[in-house]
Amino acid sequence: MARTKEIIKPPVSQETIDHCLAKAVAEGDIVNFRFLFVSYSPLRDNSTEDIQTEKYAYLREDVEKDARFEAALAAVGAPATQQQVQAQLKKNGPAQLPADLVTLLADNAVALGKFKAAAQAYELLRIRARMQKAYLEQADEALSAGDMKKAVRGYRVAVGLDYDYAAFPEPMPGPPNYQSKAQILHAQYPSRPEDALALQPPEIHINVALGYLLLNPELAARLESRSQEERLAFLVELVHQIDPAWSEFVSRYHDACRLVEKIGARLQQQSNKVTTDTLAEEIEAQQQEEDPAEIPQILLGRALDDGAWWQYIKELAYAHPAAPLFVVRQFVTKDLEIVMPRYVQESPLVKALGLALDA
Amino acid sequence: MSDHGYINYFEVLGLPETCKLGEVRNSYKKVMKQLLMEIGRTTITDNRRDNFLLNIAQLNAAYYILRDNERRQQYIDDRAQVVSLESRWQEAVEQGTDEVDSLRRAYDGALKHFLSTYMEELVLEAGRDRECVEASRWTRAHERHASRVLRHFRQRLYHEIHERLPYYQITVPEIDWNERAEVVASTLADGSAN
Repeated sequence: MARTKEIIKPPVSQETIDHCLAKAVAEGDIVNFRFLFVSYSPLRDNSTEDIQTEKYAYLREDVEKDARFEAALAAVGAPATQQQVQAQLKKNGPAQLPADLVTLLADNAVALGKFKAAAQAYELLRIRARMQKAYLEQADEALSAGDMKKAVRGYRVAVGLDYDYAAFPEPMPGPPNYQSKAQILHAQYPSRPEDALALQPPEIHINVALGYLLLNPELAARLESRSQEERLAFLVELVHQIDPAWSEFVSRYHDACRLVEKIGARLQQQSNKVTTDTLAEEIEAQQQEEDPAEIPQILLGRALDDGAWWQYIKELAYAHPAAPLFVVRQFVTKDLEIVMPRYVQESPLVKALGLALDA
Repeated sequence: MSDHGYINYFEVLGLPETCKLGEVRNSYKKVMKQLLMEIGRTTITDNRRDNFLLNIAQLNAAYYILRDNERRQQYIDDRAQVVSLESRWQEAVEQGTDEVDSLRRAYDGALKHFLSTYMEELVLEAGRDRECVEASRWTRAHERHASRVLRHFRQRLYHEIHERLPYYQITVPEIDWNERAEVVASTLADGSAN
């Protein structure tokens, strides 16, 4: 005889249901929102899971009772929505989420910068592509009006709403993957020093940078018809919006440039010098020399154990997505390849981002 | 009843469902020859290369599936089943019957099976078939690129089909695009989307 487990828990109050749903909607949290409707949801009276336990504190507590939460609470409290929610929490089988709450949740997610959650919610509503288009259109208008902050914001939202339909096993939002894209940028060792990306003429450098930072070639292509000045201003704003800690990288970049200069000057000096030192003096002098392996460590702000050049590129791209655009690969000995800062002094991009040493 | 999105290999070869094996072979050879000639006189860009790969792969698959009686019948049955299940599910939703969930699950399974079998597995299998390889000059390098192209194509079709299906994970949304434009404007204006 099949045994049925007796459920001993107090019924979940309407107030708790409203509160938990409003919290998920206000926070733009599509994962928590969907979880509240699954068959074992703690909001269901017939579930063994209890919303009042410590395990589910994250669904109830730490609510910032701001305007966004109040709006969500009002939407959740609408009679038609409450009725729909109650019906779904009693239903056996997959729940049908209330569309108005999902719409509000998606808008909140965009406003909070949770683009992947927003993409999933808009996809459920089947309006993701049109919302993406709406953001792009308004961003293009802002770009024409010279409002770079708004234009970049619009493009960033549009990129954030991208979906990867080729993902396995099912379509999902495409996450930013600067770490792997940065490695592709540096995949080939430049056969001549001037072939390095960081030393390319400004128009090529800006083109590549836009394609890389926007993560979507189609969106980057929309900017091709814009003037060089507009594209430069857009790119500078994009770098600052993507990476609020850019100034920290600039400061470390300058330190790394100074070390490169010092090593360069020493090598120059050594090649010109006819040595009269004793062997002991030479060894002592070598021990006091600067180590080129420190250059990537300074760029990154920390050392990686046995860090190969590509590991530094990956870590740099994660911490400061734009950083790999201004470094090059360089063999310093037969066995040691490092990444080091290189730039064209006159490049308007380098100047605008404050990377040139005399800036 | 819509059958858009469920690839029709008879249409790919420009033949009716009642066609004979000889007609399948002749049509395949003729269309493939035309396609290869077109490729020969076209400047290849990334986009065109993907399209040509897709065309060749589909032609190969059409020939591979339709020239074998058993495979052909299985394909016709599977296609008819997925089209019919979509239609029955749509009807059940309109009538609000209890069968909605079970039909949706049955349809979802049939759709995934159809897309992965007839738009990926058999297409790649056709690329290893001796006759197809000879006629289309298909190589390993083509297969490597084609698997990516096919996956994108399959997902695009899945998305197109999905757009016309009844809402089941969510209630039917009432979208006011003027209100949406205002939401977009206010999100961009207040700078909160950072």
